Amino acid sequence: MSERATGSIYDLGYRRYEGLRLGRREATLSLYVHGLRAAFGLGRRTRSKMFPMGLGLVAALPAIGYLMAAAFIDIDISDAIRAEDYFSSVFFFPPAALMLFLAAVAPELLGRDQRYATLPLYFSRALSRREYALARYAAMATALLALTLGPQALLFLGNALVVDSFGGYFKDEWRQVGPIIGSSILISLFFAAIGMLISAQSPRRAFATVGVIAPFIFLPIISGILVNTLDNFIGRLGVFLNPFFVIDGFTYWFFDAAPDFGDGHPLIQADFAGGWYFFFALVVTALGVALLLRHYGRRSL
Amino acid sequence: MPLIETHALTKQYPRVLALDALDIHVEPGVIGLVGANGAGKSTLIKILLGLLPATRGAAHVLGMDVNTQGREIRSIVGYMPEHDCLPPDLSATEFVTHLAEVSGLPRTAARERTAETLRHVGLFEERYREMGGYSTGMKQRVKLAQALVHDPRLIFLDEPTNGLDPAGREEMLDLVRRTGREFGIAVLMSSHLLGEIERVCDWLVVIDGGRLVRSGAVAEFTAGLGSLEVEIEGDAGALADALTERGFEARGEGFIAHVALNGVDPYDAIRDCIVEMEMGLVRLEQRRQSLEDIFRPEEPEAVAERV
Repeated sequence: MSERATGSIYDLGYRRYEGLRLGRREATLSLYVHGLRAAFGLGRRTRSKMFPMGLGLVAALPAIGYLMAAAFIDIDISDAIRAEDYFSSVFFFPPAALMLFLAAVAPELLGRDQRYATLPLYFSRALSRREYALARYAAMATALLALTLGPQALLFLGNALVVDSFGGYFKDEWRQVGPIIGSSILISLFFAAIGMLISAQSPRRAFATVGVIAPFIFLPIISGILVNTLDNFIGRLGVFLNPFFVIDGFTYWFFDAAPDFGDGHPLIQADFAGGWYFFFALVVTALGVALLLRHYGRRSL
Repeated sequence: MPLIETHALTKQYPRVLALDALDIHVEPGVIGLVGANGAGKSTLIKILLGLLPATRGAAHVLGMDVNTQGREIRSIVGYMPEHDCLPPDLSATEFVTHLAEVSGLPRTAARERTAETLRHVGLFEERYREMGGYSTGMKQRVKLAQALVHDPRLIFLDEPTNGLDPAGREEMLDLVRRTGREFGIAVLMSSHLLGEIERVCDWLVVIDGGRLVRSGAVAEFTAGLGSLEVEIEGDAGALADALTERGFEARGEGFIAHVALNGVDPYDAIRDCIVEMEMGLVRLEQRRQSLEDIFRPEEPEAVAERV
């Protein structure tokens, strides 16, 4: 064996790989898992973990605070935080944390591969561009799901522990489980679609991050102006421009509950049936994913 | 089955005609793709990988159509791009394992193959370090490793020696040679340096301006063009005259005579002449003409941009 160049005495020479070769589904799945780990900075430096993990903590803060209060203060505060309010504009910072998490992670998931020019390495394997884009999108949505469903699960368990009978709470409140899971999934898919489509437009991390945050700041302002000044149907439609209101709309509809907003609140003024927000979120999500796939499908190398 | 076959392959970019009705037919081996910068080498490789659609014409890799069987082709070929393509904050092990999994290897197999492949390309303890701190030579090794990790039947290497110092260049060429000879993996390597191709490859494809200039075995290019250098103790001019008399093409000066080797076998004649003339034979050396000697007169542009 002429392995002297590498100077290794235990070099057995090149061996062919005769083992199992998995298909495109497993290839896509491994890209998805890799993306999901990268979203939280797992397997990366501590610095890459701090921001996503920190924002995850912020999103869970009301639930954690609630649990601690329930554990240490001997008063009945069960149902002080209702599941349907958790990611609504009633509490400011859980949805804001979601938005910042999206703005931090989405550019990381898509931008890195462009910045470091690793895309050709993926596309020269048995993986299509659409599968690449889908795996990345799914990773983003799943990462968001951890931030939406996690605190809700904490809250639900907390409430169950606060009351005397765990089983009794579950029996009374099991109807909440469906809406909690449903709204968490839709929030994640909806946000991920917006964030990933915007992030795909620029390999520069700073641009992409600002690009993701911008609509979440400016659209609500425009939306508020439209709803409050134009006292007609067009003005009322403005409520859909605010992604946070869209979330509010379908979440309360899922829970079949009414928000504690005052009469002046745009959501109350616009007065659309909850189903419309659900429908709108689905359309935006589908459109965002379709455009993302198209973007990567056309991308030339 | 031919390794690569193209028929009238054409790639028209909005402003440039990158490939102009290219017809190539090569058998498995170590193939050199030579051309000046901008001759269409990278474009050809990307089309063969199914990364770029051709404007016209057909291309087959390992008997598969690049238009309809791109995925099948990509699952059994490897690609080492010309440009830098490594994320700086990952270790070589992590990165290559990940790409092995994307190539369809199960996780444990991906880990094993990664360790083996990185060792083959000469990366040892440093494979656990972040790639941002690697030298250009180490980065090129990782790039080669990720192309080999799923044990492909063919690898495309786009300018694998780019940016390397002479020693690194030598090691990379040695790796490419081993990949082709010992690993038994067909190689298509592009380069604008004829000297590299000559030393590593056994088949040569020369393109210029998107057109095929020449395609043939490297031996064919140089065969018949070499000469034999004969060093003697005696008058080399007299030896050359004697050989010319016997029908060989020879010239001599001082102690050294040159005998052309265009398809003839002059060895016996040289021996006989030297014995007859009672000279002493000091040295016999075959001087193969290099590819650059062949192309310089015909293809000044193809080699003009040599670094």
